[in-house]
Amino acid sequence: MLFSPGWRAPVRQSHVLAVFTLGLLAGGTLTATVLWLLSGLGAPLPSGVRTGAILAVAALGVAREAGWVRIPLPQNARQIPQDVLQRRVRLGALQFGFELGTGVRTFVSASAPYVIALGLLLSHQGPVATILTGTGFGAGRAVTATVRYASRHDEWDDRRITRMPLLTNAIGVTVLVALAVLLLRGL
Amino acid sequence: MPAPSETLPAGRLRRGLTEPLLPFAALALLALAASAAEQTVLCWASVGALAGYALSGSV
Repeated sequence: MLFSPGWRAPVRQSHVLAVFTLGLLAGGTLTATVLWLLSGLGAPLPSGVRTGAILAVAALGVAREAGWVRIPLPQNARQIPQDVLQRRVRLGALQFGFELGTGVRTFVSASAPYVIALGLLLSHQGPVATILTGTGFGAGRAVTATVRYASRHDEWDDRRITRMPLLTNAIGVTVLVALAVLLLRGL
Repeated sequence: MPAPSETLPAGRLRRGLTEPLLPFAALALLALAASAAEQTVLCWASVGALAGYALSGSV
């Protein structure tokens, strides 16, 4: 694994983490830019309808994470090929990060990214808010790799796996509440 | 080589600081505070980060 303590490649792991993070930020920013360009399509709908749809989807996301409803996600069910990392480590980490950061090149198994993408599409935020949301998405993905690297211990993966159900549920609820407060005050 | 009892506190500190729930707590507080304060850009950026963190896969 890219950030496990058993690293043996001739490139410093911290350098790989840095370029991987750069790729994640660039990928998230690119996807958000595309979302911003498309977000004008929802503008003719009344603002109350768009807000209602965003919050309904966010509530569905919470229900899905809790296991109350089964909703298949329209994810790209492929893994990024491992040989991306085997050719040139730095360039491969950059490409790997970029592909993960876009959120469309591999599995996206949680509901929250879909809620955020639909929220950006329907709420038609300004370019700064939309693009920084994408950059934030990349940064959020980079946090995992950074904390994993900082832990210096394989045991971290066990803790992560144990916490994942709680994390995805709590993130779904937080996204719903934060967007509800923000969007309903703006009506 | 230090005795195991000497290395434990640093290990515990590292383990505590790298707790997977900590980034969630920080980002959730930021998102909720930003939404309450109507800081639109900060709120969207922090929920974006939470969405990214929801995909905490092993890399």
